[in-house]
Amino acid sequence: MFEWLFNGKKLRENGVLGMNDRNYSVIAKYNKRSLYTLVDDKVKTKRLANSININTPKMIGIIEFQYQVKNLLDIVKGYDSFVIKPAHGSGGKGVLVIKKYDAEHFYSASGDVLSFKDVYQHVSNILSGLFSLGGKYDVALIEEAVNFSDVFKNFSYHGVPDVRVIVYKGFPAMVMMRLATKESGGRANLHQGAVGVGLDVSTGLPLNAVMHNKPIFEHPDTKANLMDLRVPFWREHLIIGSLAYDMTGLGYLGADIVLDENRGPMMLEVNARPGLAIQIANGKGLKTRLQEIDETYPLGLSAEERVDFVLNRGK
Amino acid sequence: MKLNVTNFFTIRKVLSLLLFCAIAYSAYSIYYKVKYWGFSLSPKAVTDVWTVDAKISFMAIDDKVKVSLAVPNDRDGFKILSEEVVAKGYKITQDKINSRVILEGNGKKGRQNLYYRLSIYDDAQNVALNSLLPAKVERPILSEEENVQMRKIWELSELQKGDKVQKAILAINQEVNSPTMSLILPLNHTSKEFAEKVIQILAYKRIPARIARAIKLEEGRKTEKPDIMLEAFYDGHWTLYDLNTAKIGLPKNWVIVQRGGVSLLDVKGGEDSTVVFSVLKSVASPLKMAEHRAKAHDKLWSYNYSMYTLPVFEQNTLKWLMIFPLAILVVVIMRNVIGVSTMGTFTPMLLAMALVRTGFWSGLICFSVMIALGLVMRALVAKLNLLLVPRISFVVIFVILLIQVLTVVGYRLNYTIVSSAIFFPIIITAWIIERASITWEEEGAVNTLKEILFTFITAVVTYFVISNEYVRHVMFAFNELNLVILFVVMLLGTYTGYRVTELMRFAPLIHKEN
Repeated sequence: MFEWLFNGKKLRENGVLGMNDRNYSVIAKYNKRSLYTLVDDKVKTKRLANSININTPKMIGIIEFQYQVKNLLDIVKGYDSFVIKPAHGSGGKGVLVIKKYDAEHFYSASGDVLSFKDVYQHVSNILSGLFSLGGKYDVALIEEAVNFSDVFKNFSYHGVPDVRVIVYKGFPAMVMMRLATKESGGRANLHQGAVGVGLDVSTGLPLNAVMHNKPIFEHPDTKANLMDLRVPFWREHLIIGSLAYDMTGLGYLGADIVLDENRGPMMLEVNARPGLAIQIANGKGLKTRLQEIDETYPLGLSAEERVDFVLNRGK
Repeated sequence: MKLNVTNFFTIRKVLSLLLFCAIAYSAYSIYYKVKYWGFSLSPKAVTDVWTVDAKISFMAIDDKVKVSLAVPNDRDGFKILSEEVVAKGYKITQDKINSRVILEGNGKKGRQNLYYRLSIYDDAQNVALNSLLPAKVERPILSEEENVQMRKIWELSELQKGDKVQKAILAINQEVNSPTMSLILPLNHTSKEFAEKVIQILAYKRIPARIARAIKLEEGRKTEKPDIMLEAFYDGHWTLYDLNTAKIGLPKNWVIVQRGGVSLLDVKGGEDSTVVFSVLKSVASPLKMAEHRAKAHDKLWSYNYSMYTLPVFEQNTLKWLMIFPLAILVVVIMRNVIGVSTMGTFTPMLLAMALVRTGFWSGLICFSVMIALGLVMRALVAKLNLLLVPRISFVVIFVILLIQVLTVVGYRLNYTIVSSAIFFPIIITAWIIERASITWEEEGAVNTLKEILFTFITAVVTYFVISNEYVRHVMFAFNELNLVILFVVMLLGTYTGYRVTELMRFAPLIHKEN
């Protein structure tokens, strides 16, 4: 029953990165604190991303002050759908996706019908800091809704599947895809019961899939074989991750990427402290990968060259 | 990982070195406090304090009265806590050299009762006795018969064990009832006469000896006369002997009140004088005695700059504070080494502090009820969609009212469990409720209950560490240990090993075939 207490040696042998090690040897060393603001503020991130041609959902507008909230309909005029999110939110908190609307009815992606008052309240909550880190006053960001590609339709229960790329010193180090389930309530959050599928960084092919830390082979709701998962525009996904490094200077980051039917892969957010569950999804230790990059990968390459270097290693 | 290896190891090395220094300093400091201030590692340690009362009683007959009483001195290993003379209208002088208290009075009439009171602590065994060199002893001038006796005693003494003096004392004791002995020592002799005879016999061999009077420290003992013992100068130093058993040294819990040929009590201008000694025992905590001990060791300067000289209120506050670093260490270990996630970093510590005041079960039950009620209330309010700050404010005010109601109801119905609500920090309680309800909405009941449970477990572990009487005592009496904790915590800041919970979390990453 307690044999797991003696797992330490084997985990070390398998190059598994622990939380303390991540914080001390990686984040504290390669992620300067002053750079955090670049990724903590989604408005800033978006502007920065657009300046170096990273695809992101187009910004419709921002609401900074309470008196602007009533102008919401004016701001979104001309758009069929839109997304409201807190600029300083994390983990998808406070994100409201409106699929279609008229003056009084707002239809959310999760199937609710909201009144203007409800939406007004939601924006107010964002401004008062309900969803932001440390409860600070926040800004509501309104952007175009992503037209999700159909390719993942069978692999996700509601919700948006996204690709998380861990980028170390600019090199894509590990990738997983997160698929929403009924249990996760349409969210792509692993510890709420979403499925994580580890993808080989060079080939994009599925390696392993887990739900609640346990290996699975088919999606619990759609019954799709997870090993059949294929991600189009693989190279483009990796380039977005790699560019995120150029853009932020964070030595260790997680880029969350979604696939838009028309515009291709788009970066949703960058995380300066990406979690370690990706190791379980991949069935591999991250430390081994980071060491490999430290020791054998060349310096001074551009983002595309770095991605090609990684892709060529798989051949 | 080969990340900046040199830098990585230097930090750890420097911290280890500092930790080592802190340990060395603490070890020395503990030794110092135990040795010179008499601190104890156990909170239950007590120091016996003996109060010796000498009641001097006499009839004043002259106009001028002078009383001189032999008193113990602190050269004998006992440490004097306080000395006090109750003698109204008498002039009091202390003669430190001869260890006497002198009282002089004018125009006293009738029975006089004077009191001398001495508080002493710490008996130390076999400390060097008054080391003044004795005068040369002349062989006593004896009759022929007595000379025969002397030789016989010394011959007999050869059969006894021990040093020369011990042999002689044992031989005399054996012979004391024999007819020959009665020639030199009457059968109905007092112990003083006996002692004097021993001194004479020793003088025959030119061994200097003198009488010592000692009192046994015994609870409630009342004795008119101190017991008589013998001091002999043998082998270059004074040694104390028991006149009956010939045992060497002052027995435990005895104190010498007078030595040498001088009398115990001298009364000039009075008659019918008596002195009655009585002994009372009391106990004091070593912390209270520390100042006296520091003084006795001439280490008062260090003591004066310690927190133990502060007023009691400040001391109690510091005693409370001194336990915090340990509680923090527990939290650091629980989070970074064990790897449980808690609501807020130091919330468990503050909870544990509250539990110390409320008592374990009553506090735990009361707090759970508060959290549960708060969560229900918060869930009802959630429908109103209040803004963040007013909503948290609502929870805080609700908790304050809840505490008020629980305390009053608990007091009226005599349920201490309920009234312990008052000791829980309002903001912490409100914050746990707010945080829990948000987690509940966003991550579900299971995750919320898990987080609350971990917070409670951490608080309970912290509680058991800081509520331990020994731990509290040690952390206060030997507060330098906090320096050790400081560096341990810093070193834990460089710990990159797996957390215990990660061993389970990452178990799927162990390939069985390996």
